Amino acid sequence: MLGYEPGDSLAHHLDPRTKLAVQLAFAVAAFAHTDPRGLAVLTGVTALALASARLSPVSVLWGYRFLLPLLAAAVLFELVTLGPPWLDPAAAVDPLLASYRTLLIVGVAAGYVRTTAARESRAAVQWAIPGKPGRLLGAGVGLVFRFLPLLRRDLAAIRDAERARLGDERPTRERLRTVGAAGLRRAFARADRLAMALTARCFSWNATLPRIRLRAVDAPALALAAALLASVFV
Amino acid sequence: MSTATDSVDLVGDEVAVNLVRAALVAALMGAFAFVSFPNPLNPAVPVTAQVLGVFLAGIYLGPAWGGFAMLLYVLAGALGAPVFSGASAGLGEIFGPTGGYLVSYPFAAALIGAVVHGVDGLVDPEGVSFPRLVGAMTAGTVVIYALGIAVYWYYLDTSLVAAIVGAGLAFVPAEAVKMAAAVGIVRSDEVQAT
Repeated sequence: MLGYEPGDSLAHHLDPRTKLAVQLAFAVAAFAHTDPRGLAVLTGVTALALASARLSPVSVLWGYRFLLPLLAAAVLFELVTLGPPWLDPAAAVDPLLASYRTLLIVGVAAGYVRTTAARESRAAVQWAIPGKPGRLLGAGVGLVFRFLPLLRRDLAAIRDAERARLGDERPTRERLRTVGAAGLRRAFARADRLAMALTARCFSWNATLPRIRLRAVDAPALALAAALLASVFV
Repeated sequence: MSTATDSVDLVGDEVAVNLVRAALVAALMGAFAFVSFPNPLNPAVPVTAQVLGVFLAGIYLGPAWGGFAMLLYVLAGALGAPVFSGASAGLGEIFGPTGGYLVSYPFAAALIGAVVHGVDGLVDPEGVSFPRLVGAMTAGTVVIYALGIAVYWYYLDTSLVAAIVGAGLAFVPAEAVKMAAAVGIVRSDEVQAT
């Protein structure tokens, strides 16, 4: 599973806003140049992004493996025709290029996921969306990161208990109902306890976040983002 | 660390409770992405409980906070929390062929909340009539699949038929099972809305 890991790679030292800018510019450029030449250049950029995060392409593919059947289905649907000549390779070219583009965009995004801590992302959100809406979103995102492992454990415990009582032989609707109800009940119980604790400890709109600032190391990455954006108009 | 010199501005009790509930529903939705069940109608495509999370967010949190919860889910996933299907994350998912589904969740949850609760204030979901609950979830499902299929179709340059079959028909029947489960949860007395 792909997630944040502390480290000392080049991408770890970049400002989160720089990394977000590169991802957005890359996605725009990839949509504008979904042709063999454009994708070849962008493959180089993706390799650069992965190298800067010290990520191997294989681990990225493994992390997003569930995407592959979906992409393959799109290519196959166009490749196979109902009637002679049965196979139509020309029609499959566009979906094939689009599928490859997906993998490139996902690869660049994986670099961000691996090298950016939740609180840096939160600081970037609050920089991008000023005022209370941004603070609300920032605090919420922080809580999602923090509570995801706990709720996953809750659900795993519920499923274990279900299995021990042969609940996994029940119909799917019943299982979804019991797991959903128990999961929601636990989540709400956690939420009410946490909300009371936060209020008791003066939960305020002005939380202290890590200071994010652009440094010299960000300059080449920002130049890359600008070049990607400029390529759209070429 | 940065320092601030302005005076402390406390978050109101009601906002704090709603914010935390929305965040935990978003996290629960992410946890749902890890559990899959056998699909009674189509064994090849397992059912994940994620869309059930959208239904529950709209039904229990209402239009505003339900939509906000799904916004948090999408944003946290884009910023690296492993909450999307297959425990994946990243902005690449939003720009991927299944991005339409993700983007539709806040709208679907807000719509479900609006149909269930109306526009002025929240009601107790247990008191909502069966047709209204099912109607709300059907409308939400339509929003999810309309956006999901449109993005898949546009994104992968396939024919519209291929998109509807590949991204829609394979999954839609399972949504009926999730709706039945959601109705069961609302009627079961196990979850207190307030």
